[in-house]
Amino acid sequence: MNTELTPQESLRLIESMIGHARRSFSRMSFYFLLWGVLLIGAMIAAYLLRENAQGWQNGAPWGVAGALGGIISAIHGARESRREQVSNPMDSTISWLWGAFVITMLLLIAFTVVGRSDATVAITMLTGLPTFLTGQIMRFRPLQFGGVLFWVAGIAMLVLHSALATLVLYCASMLLGYIVPGILLKRHEDGLRAA
Amino acid sequence: MGFAPLDPVLHNQLRLAVVSLLIAVDEADFTYLLERTGATRGNLSVQLTKLKEAGYVQITKGYKDNYPNTSCRLTKAGIKAFEQYVKAIKGYLQ
Repeated sequence: MNTELTPQESLRLIESMIGHARRSFSRMSFYFLLWGVLLIGAMIAAYLLRENAQGWQNGAPWGVAGALGGIISAIHGARESRREQVSNPMDSTISWLWGAFVITMLLLIAFTVVGRSDATVAITMLTGLPTFLTGQIMRFRPLQFGGVLFWVAGIAMLVLHSALATLVLYCASMLLGYIVPGILLKRHEDGLRAA
Repeated sequence: MGFAPLDPVLHNQLRLAVVSLLIAVDEADFTYLLERTGATRGNLSVQLTKLKEAGYVQITKGYKDNYPNTSCRLTKAGIKAFEQYVKAIKGYLQ
């Protein structure tokens, strides 16, 4: 691979290599699958507990899911970063995007707890933003579709305004917005790694 | 109007491939460059040394997951040289 190049060959080589490097994203499917399963579990638990739970117990499933997901994500992220062969600036952008999302979500939860209101609709709509943008950055359509789905689900929750509708819409949006794109992303990542 | 001369350090298939990969990322391991370019270990090593000597690539040797690891990143001089190379190539093609 040391031959002299024509200008056309040089340009083709540059385009091809840059294309390769831009597709070298970290493996993210794990996080979508993990959080999708945890948050569906938390939503179902919160729905089942809603009649009997009092005070802090209402938020307990979300707290448990959040803490568990945070710990597992941190351990997995640390392990993966030791294995990653390349550091892509787009990875950093996506990490900052989700970090900003978590901060906004925690502030939102704090305000709704103080105001004794339900944060589910706002969080569902907010989830659409990083999901859609991650799909856009990675050029991965299922995540873009997932982002749109969270926005639509949030609007439907507002319109229907019932606990059962919120449960169904939240779980459906998590399934189609996180878990299904997560499975498709995993296949895509496995394919890239094998290539 | 004459053509701008092409940087001899970059006007080589493997070195250009390496720099093109590195321009799109912050940092890349030796094994990543090896996989993406399809070069042999020895050849890649030689060409990386040439890029390092030209001041285009910074090579850091360390450990990752308890194994020896070599990571590479473009220097500012490397980025500038690549940009000038692309500009010169486009001049040839117009």
